[in-house]
Formats: sequence, C-alpha cells, structure tokens
Amino acid sequence: MDNPLHPFELHPFGQLSLLGLDVSLNKAVLMMWVVLVVVAGLLITAAATRRLVPTKLQSLAELLVDFIRGMILDTIGKDGMRFFPFIATLFLFILFCNLLGLIPGTYTVTSQIVVTAAFALFVYGMSVVVGFGLHGIKFLGILVPPGTPGWLLPLMVPIELISQLARPLSLAVRLFANMTAGHTVLAVLFGMALSLPVLIGWLPFAFTIAINGLEVIIAFIQAYIFTILTCVYLGDAITLHGHAEHAH
Amino acid sequence: MPPSNDPFYAGLGQAVRIGTELLAALMVGGGLGWLADTYLFSSGPWGLVVGLILGAIAGIMNAYRAAQRWSS
Repeated sequence: MDNPLHPFELHPFGQLSLLGLDVSLNKAVLMMWVVLVVVAGLLITAAATRRLVPTKLQSLAELLVDFIRGMILDTIGKDGMRFFPFIATLFLFILFCNLLGLIPGTYTVTSQIVVTAAFALFVYGMSVVVGFGLHGIKFLGILVPPGTPGWLLPLMVPIELISQLARPLSLAVRLFANMTAGHTVLAVLFGMALSLPVLIGWLPFAFTIAINGLEVIIAFIQAYIFTILTCVYLGDAITLHGHAEHAH
Repeated sequence: MPPSNDPFYAGLGQAVRIGTELLAALMVGGGLGWLADTYLFSSGPWGLVVGLILGAIAGIMNAYRAAQRWSS
C-alpha cells in the first residue's frame, strides 16, 4: 500500500538556479500561483460589474469583504481598517489554498510547515513592528500584565515572554497540523478502500466522503482562525492593553 | 462561510484553537530552557525543567485568556 504521507512529498520539476539560489519549480509553487490567479480573477471579475443589484459573483465577493470587515471591526476596532488589504489578502489566500487543495490531484500548500511558518512569522513580526512603531519602548509593557504586584515581576515577565513567543509557533503549527492531518486521514481511508474487498471496502470509502465534507468546514475554520488571531495580535499591538479586557 | 455569529462554528474554532495554544507555549518554554542549557550555561537539566514549568504556566494562561475572550 502507498505511504499515506506520499501526497505531501515535493519533487522539483527540474533544476533551475538563479544567482546560486535554488529556484526550481514544484507542485506547491505552481499551486500557489494557481491560487493567486483564482483569487485575483474571482475578485476582479466580481468587482467589474458593480451593480446596485449585485450579480451572484458580486454578492459572494461582498459577503466575503463584509465578513472580513466585521472580523477586523470586532477584534481591532476602527483603527484596524488600515490593515484591511493585508488581512483580506491573507484570509483569501489561506482559504483558497485550503479549499483548492481538497480537489484531488492538486496540492495543499498550507500542509507545508515552511509556508505556514512564513505567514506566522511575518504576521507576528508585523505586530511587533507596529507595536514598537506606535508606542516606542512602552510596547514592552505588553510583557507585564496589568495589576501585577512588583515582587511577582521576575516570574511574570518570563511567562509572558514565553506566551508571546508561543504565538507564531501556535499559528504555524495549527494550520499546518490541521491540513496535514485531514489529508493523511483521507489518504489512509482511500488506501483501505482500495486494498479491501468491495464487500467491506465501501465502508472506508463512505467515510472518505463524510471526511471530505468535514475537511471543507475545517478549511474555512482554519483560515478564519488564522485571520482572527492575526487581528487579535495586531489589535494587542495597537491598543497595548490586550490583557486589560481579561482583567474583569 | 462560517458566519462569526454562528455559535457552532465559533465554538469549533475556539476548541481547535485552545489545544495548540497549550502545546505551543510548552514547546517554546522547553525549547528556550534547553537552548539555555546547551549553549549558554551548560547547567544540566535545570534550564529545561524550569523552562518546561514556565511554558506550562504560560500555556495554561494563554488557554485561559482565549476562553475568557470568547466568553465575554
């Protein structure tokens, strides 16, 4: 039987190097380009008409934009609308990577931890830069939860530091692990369906259909969580009292 | 589209989130402790032990905060 992790292996199509860097193409790179084209094409066509009574595509785009806007307003507030283009791009890219990866024969880019880690580090780095840019050195106050007595500081600061550093890791691992796990389960079930006689084999096959439905939900939820946590981290950096709301 | 006001999807999202929150802080804490042991002080297992304990506390605090944010 095939190794269930086989679908995650990447092989370059050929050797290609530029200035000593390995820039050979593989399935994941091509898939990212496909996702970019699909997202951009979808939104550009949707926005082309701009009718008062929207077409189906336009209302889908409006729904998406409204959803992302609501997410930002809920977690950051009005200040966050500056980041709308970035957050919308992030959400749509991850969502379509997850969704298009479910089509058999394609590749789920978000099942590579290098991709999710790059996103997570960039998002976290951006929140740190925004925080220091807005508040200067006072941004370090994020390491001190409000209402901490002075003698607890030597304990609380390391704990807060760890919980800050855990943010990019948990962002990256969550998306990567969920995508990889879902596809591995599908691969195992398909392998069982193929290797068993039809009399029993239909059972794992039926399960693959159910799991595929679940995977669509997971694809949405993981994109949603990644984006909402991006908003939360940016919001913490902007308002600087991310912990204040937990005090009551 | 999971609408953010649908309690089922919001709850599912939270459930998925909190698990990794615990794990990530533990990994970072242990990792920092191990790094301090190996490259800074060569202080035996103590950096790892302290790091894991701090990481566990940080993880529980993160999970608690995530739950608080949701319930408010």
